Amino acid sequence: MSGPLVGPASEYVSASRSEMTDRGSLIRSGGRFGADTILSLLTAGAAFIVMLMLAALVAVLAHASLPAIHEFGWSFLVSSEWRPNALEVPKTDANGNVIIEDGETVTQTIPPSFGALPVIYGTAISSGLAIIFAVPLSFGAALFLVRIAPKVMKGPVSFLIEFLAAIPSIAYGMWGLFILAPFLQRHLESWLGHVYAAAGRPRVLHWLFQETSLLPTGEKLVRDLPLSGRDMFSGGLVLAVMIIPIITAIARDVLKSVPRAQIEGTIALGATWWQTSKEMLRYSRAGLFGAVMLGLARAAGETMAVTMVIGNNNQIRASLFAPAQTMSSLLANEFAEASTDIHRASLSEVALILLVMSLLFNIVARYLVVGKGSRTAAAH
Amino acid sequence: MDYPVYNIFSRNYSRVMFGLCVLFTGIILALLVLVTGYLISIGAHSLSIDFFTRLPIPQGMEGYPGGMKNALVGTVVLIALASSVGIPIGMLTGIYLSEYSANSFLAGPTRFICDVLTGVPSIVVGILGYELVVRPIGHFNGYAGGLALAFIMVPIVARTTEEMLRLVPNSYREASIALGATKARTILKVVLPAATGSVITGIMLAIARVAGETAPLLFTTLGSRLLVYNPDDPFPSLTQQIYDYATKPDPAQQKLAWSGILVLISLIFVLNVGIRYFARSIQSMTA
Repeated sequence: MSGPLVGPASEYVSASRSEMTDRGSLIRSGGRFGADTILSLLTAGAAFIVMLMLAALVAVLAHASLPAIHEFGWSFLVSSEWRPNALEVPKTDANGNVIIEDGETVTQTIPPSFGALPVIYGTAISSGLAIIFAVPLSFGAALFLVRIAPKVMKGPVSFLIEFLAAIPSIAYGMWGLFILAPFLQRHLESWLGHVYAAAGRPRVLHWLFQETSLLPTGEKLVRDLPLSGRDMFSGGLVLAVMIIPIITAIARDVLKSVPRAQIEGTIALGATWWQTSKEMLRYSRAGLFGAVMLGLARAAGETMAVTMVIGNNNQIRASLFAPAQTMSSLLANEFAEASTDIHRASLSEVALILLVMSLLFNIVARYLVVGKGSRTAAAH
Repeated sequence: MDYPVYNIFSRNYSRVMFGLCVLFTGIILALLVLVTGYLISIGAHSLSIDFFTRLPIPQGMEGYPGGMKNALVGTVVLIALASSVGIPIGMLTGIYLSEYSANSFLAGPTRFICDVLTGVPSIVVGILGYELVVRPIGHFNGYAGGLALAFIMVPIVARTTEEMLRLVPNSYREASIALGATKARTILKVVLPAATGSVITGIMLAIARVAGETAPLLFTTLGSRLLVYNPDDPFPSLTQQIYDYATKPDPAQQKLAWSGILVLISLIFVLNVGIRYFARSIQSMTA
């Protein structure tokens, strides 16, 4: 046999489009100003409102973040300083000595400064961790549901996994805060800490267990991380638990739609169970990638659960066991209390970045999965 | 591509991967049990009748910490507000997508935008509510929260309505037209009634979704410890009060938060499961 065994994956995913024949065309319209006209105008108006909603979302956020965009420009994306309040520091001369006039230190005021790098980093790492944990589990479970599970099991297991997706974020937050974080602290992290201490606190592991902060005076402060269980790692874990059901449900639907002939073909060639499964995964790679993207989008935009477990420290730390901050948790923590316009505008710009990012993820994902996963995602 | 080679190695490898798939499913189910088990058991231990009947009581006063009656009322009012805006727009959009999308340049983009909107982070919607309602009015209020929740409902209701209407056989429409009914009459009297059960299911799922939303309420309704009926004031909601209490150091308030979680999850469970069966039975009755 030459030639590829399968066609482009987009062929079968987009096939569902052709089923969307239009029912409306069968029906002729009635009078000019009758109920027909009214209903068609109403429905078209509603559809138009939906399009306006997206436009309004982008426009309002962009407008709200204008002051921050003017003030900081592109440096907003790469600056790691997030200081909502003005800072008074002693003025220093060219040699770095504190200037003293009339026996008093001369102070200068540093204006508030905002940079989104720490939260972009926090969002990227926590969502990345979540994907690393969730994807193998979800794909495994999806294969199980499609290929292994006996008929009687399929329904209940699918339902349970979908119910996991319906549990609200705040409930995962409670679970993460009161169950997972203490568990990680008491078991995993304290154990790791002991190992670290027992190994004589080797230099190569400093990045994992220590943090260096820069004091306003310019000194460096090195201290051990608190290992409190509320950190990037537990944030990633909670996110993983939350996106597993979504990825599983979509991956299941995508795998289910692999044509029977495809599967039988590999079996006829003498493939083992895994070789056939691998072929199924390969065949539906576009849809599976879409599933991962949807999971990623959800993880990146998730707010409450992350806010409750990630520790809310707006700084970049190399260690996974250091408290961190994501874009959404920053918004949840600061927006209601932001007192200055520039602070609020900066937060709006963070929201704008988050929105644009999730729109991109979603558009790519929908494009890849087309109609397949959209229903599952809509239901959750 | 590689030809599948049947040998000892690939056979054993296959067995390992098979086992892994079973194991991974087991891990996910274990996670489910771990999550829901803790939430339900701790919630059940914390729940008391006070939760439903009393208002929050400040620390140091008789009866502290009270209950969450105000939050329950607040959530109901917020859902009603959101539904009154979100469901009509969502349903009309769904009808448009299913029944009027012929030769329409609006249908494709609308469908796509609905899908994209379901993926918008809810906290971003909260900022929209803040900018559009809270800022012009000048203070936090319930309307802003209702609007934010409606925003989240619309795409969900629209897409489920569309899909449910598509399930109605075309012969229904043809029969109605053959009898001389207009298109509007056909939609309102034939197509919608035939899909009532499943459309209600979609609406219930949307309600379940917004009932659990916290993020869009943080800077729209702000929350309140009082029993408020007027949405023009800062408004309480179950999810927000849970968040508030969960992050407080006092175990008595954390207990209330756990009770709140149990109530919330039960509500969502009932909406998800109960209505699914309810809808199925209605449909089997009408069919």
